Parts: sequence; C-alpha cells; structure tokens
Amino acid sequence: MKGTRRSGKSQIVTIAIFVLAVGLLLFSSIGGARAALNYFSDVYESRAQTQDIGVTLIENGIEVSNRDYKYNREMERADGTWDENAGTLLAGMLKEGEELKLGYQYAEELKVKNSGTIPQYVRVSIYKYWVDQEGEKLQELSPDLIELNLNLDDWLLDESAATKERTVLYYSKELAIDSESQPFADGLTISTVVANRVAQNVEIEGSHQNLTTVYEYDGVRFIVDVKVDAIQNHNIEDAAWSEWGRRVTVNNGTLSLQ
Amino acid sequence: MKKINGLLAAAAVMLVLSAAIGSAWGYFTTFVEVRGGHALKLGSRTEIDEGFSDWTKRVSITSKPDSVPVYIRAKAFCGSEYQLTYNDENKKWTLGEDDYYYYSDILYGGQKTEELLIKIGNIPEDADVKDSEHFNVVVIYESTPVLYDKDGKPYPDWNAKLTTGNVEGGSN
Repeated sequence: MKGTRRSGKSQIVTIAIFVLAVGLLLFSSIGGARAALNYFSDVYESRAQTQDIGVTLIENGIEVSNRDYKYNREMERADGTWDENAGTLLAGMLKEGEELKLGYQYAEELKVKNSGTIPQYVRVSIYKYWVDQEGEKLQELSPDLIELNLNLDDWLLDESAATKERTVLYYSKELAIDSESQPFADGLTISTVVANRVAQNVEIEGSHQNLTTVYEYDGVRFIVDVKVDAIQNHNIEDAAWSEWGRRVTVNNGTLSLQ
Repeated sequence: MKKINGLLAAAAVMLVLSAAIGSAWGYFTTFVEVRGGHALKLGSRTEIDEGFSDWTKRVSITSKPDSVPVYIRAKAFCGSEYQLTYNDENKKWTLGEDDYYYYSDILYGGQKTEELLIKIGNIPEDADVKDSEHFNVVVIYESTPVLYDKDGKPYPDWNAKLTTGNVEGGSN
C-alpha cells in the first residue's frame, strides 16, 4: 500500500515535469517566432521564398561575391543550401604587368546589394594590412598607408570597434530586396610615404660593419579584406544584439548605434 | 509504470533540448567576405656614364632594367678658374633654381638619358687635353622615385627624407 502511494506520487511528479517541459517549449517557440517575424499573414504564409536571405558585394559595378540562401522553386521552399560565389577584390585594379602608382587614387567603389528575398540591414568590416611574400602578416608595417577613401553618407562609423587595421560601418537604412546601398568607399591610394620608409641592416664582419639600406615596403603586398554581414529587418534591434553583439536603435527604418 | 515514467522523462528532456534549437534558428543572417591586394616594387639602381672630348664632358645616366621609374637631376662642380656651359641636343635638360639640371622625362627601368654636355671653358694654354682629371670637374647626379597625385599626374619629391624604423642586426 505504501509502495503504491509512493509510486503514485512519483508518477505525478513525472507528469508535472513533462507538462512543465511542454510549457517551456511552447514559451520558447513563441519567443523564436517573435524573433524571426513580427507579423504573420496568410499572404506571407503562402510565399515561402520571403525567408531567403542573401547579400552581394559590388566592386566598381561588378558583383564580386555573394552568398544567398537558395530557394527551390519546384518544391516551393528553401532547400537548405547556399548559392555562394567568392571572387577576388582589386583584381581589376592593375593591368597585366602594370606597376602600382604611389599616390594615385584608384577607383574602388564598394557597395552592398540585397540579393535575398527579405529586407535586411547590413554592416561591413574592412581590414587593411601588409603581408610578406609567403602571405604572413607584417604587424610592423602601417595599415594607415593603405588609404581606402570612405564615403560615410548613410554609413555609420563604429568608433568603438575601430582599430588601425579594422573599420566597421553600419548602413543606417533598411536595404530593400534587390536594392543597392550607397557606396561605402570610392577610391584606394597607397601613400607616397612608403617610398621614404627604409630599414638598415647591419652586418658585422671582423673589425668593420656593413650597413645596407633597404626599402621597408619593397616586395610586400597590401591586402584589403571586406566582410559584409546581413541580417533580417524583423526585430532588428534584438537580432543585431544577438547576432552581431551590437546594440542598435531603429526608428522609422533608420538605424543608429547606441 | 517505471517504463512509462522513463519515456516521459526522456520525452521531456528532448522537448527542452529542441527548444534550444528553435532559438538558434531565430534570425536570418548571411555574410560574404572577399579580399585582394597587390605587391609593391620599390628601389632603383642607376649608374652614370661619363665621356670626355673637345673640352666637353658628356654625361648620361642609365637605369637598370629592374628599377622603378625615376626622375634624374645632375650638376657639375669645378674650380673657380674654369667656366662650365651646359647644353644638350634635344633640350631635355633644364636648369633649375638650385643649379641642378633636371631631366624632363621619366626614366624607366632599362632606359638611358640623353647626354648632358658640359663644356669646360677658360682652359689654361698648357693644359693636357687628354687628362680631364686635371680640370677637377666633378659631376654628381641624383634620382628619386616617380610619385603621383590623386589624379595620376607624376611628380618628383626632391625634398623627401628617408626615415628608418626597425633596425635589424644592429643598434640605432
């Protein structure tokens, strides 16, 4: 009799835990749905492709790289794969055999296109640095001498994330489907200062030393690395905090940094 | 009964875990990353060729094939008893305010300047024409890499000062 009572209590506890788990699941599902979509209509429900997100980087009018969630039109749903094309930045900067001109501002217009099927917000992270012939980063050479001329119309500079090597920009406007942002850069110059920077190597031979002067930047390669992050427009403030780790405020579609 | 309890507990655990999956899929994001760059070539190697005939020094400067494009300037020194007169056939050398003669063209790797003719005047009557060193006429020349303004117009920076950063294998 005692054993039966204990067994009954145990069953009640188990069922209570199960009900609690179901309750937790339901609440968390509601949260997830709120995070993804703020509205849900019959029309929206009938168009599964509205869940596809995609972004493209455009350099001097040419799409150099994109990553779009793939929509399967036959199955009328996203099939879980990505359409990705990775190009190379600055590939058209110099003609074959042409040497780089110090001080000249090369055209380098960079902008972002929404190549998905939902409106989005975007940010770009720009990295500038020097590498040796083996591709190893040269920390002692100055990223400041790689001058990417930024255009901050509609782009917000995140000073809290800025370093000598990295610049982070947020586009203040919502990027509509198939639309392009304002350019965030329009020119690239390698400073003439690199022609004045030399290093001296001293080799001691017996009682005398040989002093050799070499250009610090001779033979090194400059690198510009651009990463574009895109995120859904729905519930953007929470989404940006969750996915980008950045507090933002959006009023009437205009994003500002907190 | 124990079996049912076990199943219920397992189902509860699975439900709670699946809730975590749901939140991970909460936001639609994507990204694209692209990079590129080019190598720099700096440094030049030039050498001077000097000839002497008819009381005239003939000077030209040659740039080695692997050199970057440079601008050239030159001038000559001599004792005050001599008089120097500069000339060149195609007027490529122009006198600057600092008494240097500036070569008008950019000298690309592998190219040679036209000759700068430096005529020595006021020669002593007993001078030996075959021994130019007796005249103590010394020619110096300088080169500087071609720089560009933002619009692509080339220019020399004759006032540029080389600065050193790191020193390897020795002290500052």
